Amino acid sequence: MSSVAAQQRRRTAAPAQSPASADTPRLSRKHREWLAAGLFLAPDVLGLLVFVAIPMVLSIALSFFQVSGFGSYQWIGLGNYRRMMHDPLFWDSMRITGEYVVILVPVLFCVSLGLGLLVKQKLPGVGVYRTALFLPYVISLVVVGVLWKFLLDEQTGVVNRAMRAAGFDGESWLGSPSLALGCVIAVMVWVMMGYYMIIFLAGLQEIPKEFYEAAKLDGAGPWTTFRTITWPLLRPTSFFVLLMSTVAAITGGLDLIFVLTNGGPANGTSLAIFYIYQQAFGFGEFGYASAMGSFLVLIMVVISAVIFKFTRGGRFDDGE
Amino acid sequence: MLQHGTEAGFPATTSRRRLLTAAAGAGAALAATPLLTGCGTAQAKGGNLQFWNFYGPQRSPDPAINAQSKWFVDMVATWNRTHKQQIDLVYLPQPTYLNGFKLPSAFATGEGPDIFLLSPGDFLRYYNGGVLADLTPHMDQAAIDDYGSALDSRKVDGKVYALPMEIEPLAMFYAQDVWEKAGLSEADIPTTWEQMLDIGDKLRTKTRAGLVFETQPGYYQNFTWYPWMWQGGGDVMDHQGKVVFDSQATRQALALWQDAVRHGIAPRTVPAADDVIGGFKGGNVAMWQQGIWNVASFKAFAPKYRYGVFKLPVPPGGKYVTTLGGWSFCANAQGRNPEAAAEFCAWALGSMKDDSINRMVDWCVGAKSDVAPRASALERGAAKGGYDSEVMKKFKDEIFPGGRAEPRYPPVVYKAISDAIQGTMLAGRGVAGEAARAAQSIAAYTKSYKGASLI
Repeated sequence: MSSVAAQQRRRTAAPAQSPASADTPRLSRKHREWLAAGLFLAPDVLGLLVFVAIPMVLSIALSFFQVSGFGSYQWIGLGNYRRMMHDPLFWDSMRITGEYVVILVPVLFCVSLGLGLLVKQKLPGVGVYRTALFLPYVISLVVVGVLWKFLLDEQTGVVNRAMRAAGFDGESWLGSPSLALGCVIAVMVWVMMGYYMIIFLAGLQEIPKEFYEAAKLDGAGPWTTFRTITWPLLRPTSFFVLLMSTVAAITGGLDLIFVLTNGGPANGTSLAIFYIYQQAFGFGEFGYASAMGSFLVLIMVVISAVIFKFTRGGRFDDGE
Repeated sequence: MLQHGTEAGFPATTSRRRLLTAAAGAGAALAATPLLTGCGTAQAKGGNLQFWNFYGPQRSPDPAINAQSKWFVDMVATWNRTHKQQIDLVYLPQPTYLNGFKLPSAFATGEGPDIFLLSPGDFLRYYNGGVLADLTPHMDQAAIDDYGSALDSRKVDGKVYALPMEIEPLAMFYAQDVWEKAGLSEADIPTTWEQMLDIGDKLRTKTRAGLVFETQPGYYQNFTWYPWMWQGGGDVMDHQGKVVFDSQATRQALALWQDAVRHGIAPRTVPAADDVIGGFKGGNVAMWQQGIWNVASFKAFAPKYRYGVFKLPVPPGGKYVTTLGGWSFCANAQGRNPEAAAEFCAWALGSMKDDSINRMVDWCVGAKSDVAPRASALERGAAKGGYDSEVMKKFKDEIFPGGRAEPRYPPVVYKAISDAIQGTMLAGRGVAGEAARAAQSIAAYTKSYKGASLI
């Protein structure tokens, strides 16, 4: 009896639906949103899988092989990692990378923040300045390398010409081990500052104007306003810039080094990423390079975790 | 006042910030993937053969480059007219070809070209990798004899694995105007290292290098440094394969470049961002160690510029030697059709037929300026007037005869030598320590080395 009653209830309920939906069941709003999100995300997910995730797994696998010649693989377990531990050139490259990151990231952070604050002002022609400062970021690093190679040339470079005109001796900017890394850092700051300036600008523009108006009414000066309003509210943006610029510093810049110094002088600009590239594609040591690449990724995960820990992921609170 | 979520619009802002945070985390994870992959796949068989090179087909404002491109295009067109197996030329820009990852990674993934150009410094890496086809069965003994010692560094166990298209000796190029303005004449052309440094010191100014040696680390820098070591009787390995790098001759060669830089006679980076013709024309160079290939570049870009060349000076008690470079044609032993690819190499450069010899003549004294590696081609080139100019005559009759082929050391050996050159020249480290360190590194490598002879 109870099943007959249930059937009756279903029959009674049926007319509430539209006639069309009886033939073509519609997705709920939630499902439609999931579907849309999936479709939007699909190209990126596919790209990340094909070009990042799968190569990453294959590369870790490759790090356990000795690659001799072309396409000849021999399992050697942790042999490449043991070799890495005893390779002074690799540790030199890691030390240089450390110096590079420790100088580049804070300088880039401060310069970008400064520029962000500057171009936020209502200055005449500020759009032109924003574009000009962003422009180096869209230029290929190879072109940047060639350009700066000319600018930093010992005899004919603009930098040395200007120095000589001011009564100083010129320098061998790219030929002195003590100067070359600094030049690479300076050029990278020049390239990247526009991008992070825009990030900071976006962060600055999200801070409600009312806060500044209130601070002004309270008689706060520019430094106090920056310290008590701008800096705390820029926290998520600062976290983003810090993390991304650290990762970019460790993994990027290969093209620039390649063109500007080729790792010289005397390995002075041989960053870990350059040394890994050289071992893989210059020397055919694909297994060894994969081991070093995997180790570098591990280092980056640790650094990222430390940044997350100390900045609490850029959040304002401890929750969520 | 600053309580989150209480201001209009703030929740949305917070949300965006959280999104930013999440993006940063994801970005960090994803950007941290400079990883390398290598997975061998079987080479697809059939289809046209691919000939990777850095000459053509291309169009350039430089007439010399266009002529070189045309030489390649014409050669392949001639082959395609007369053979069933067709060939496609694939052009790669020179920097990509020389130092890029495209060629080695193509071979590592089993997708290497069927025919390609190879420098002597890279010979062993490719031979030991098993991708060089034996060209000997496709050549006449007469053609092999015609090449003579030019094939020595491309042979393993008497078999030929690469056919040189050119020989490129190194010499000193100098600016005649600068020379004359300093009151120097041809009689002052240096024959010893000391004279060379003295003249370089005399000719240098704040914007002009007295003497230029290659400064950027790489195979090319090693290539240009070897003759200074050889001239004093030094070497990397002796005839038995024993490492002899740590020697008086090596130390004095390292010291020569170090002294030139330390005293400001040679710059720490090459002038004019390595634009040789621009550097000379701009008055930024007095002397520059360079190769014969620049004769064609001067002819194309600065036909009226007055320059001269002279043999590399020697140390006290030394003997003149220069390095002979030059590229070769190779066939991929694992390609689509290795037999046809090898046959093509022999047909193009290694046959006794007139076409083959004339093709080399056209390359060495027409499209380019080189010494021909085959005796017959050198004779024909001379008869054609290709070596009549003062500079080319000097290269053929004086500079080339004392030459020695560029060694074919594998990467570990190259790197040890490169680090010694860079460390002494540009970081001011002691020559004895650097020579000893490099020798130890090379000796350690050769103990476990398995492959074709390093010498």
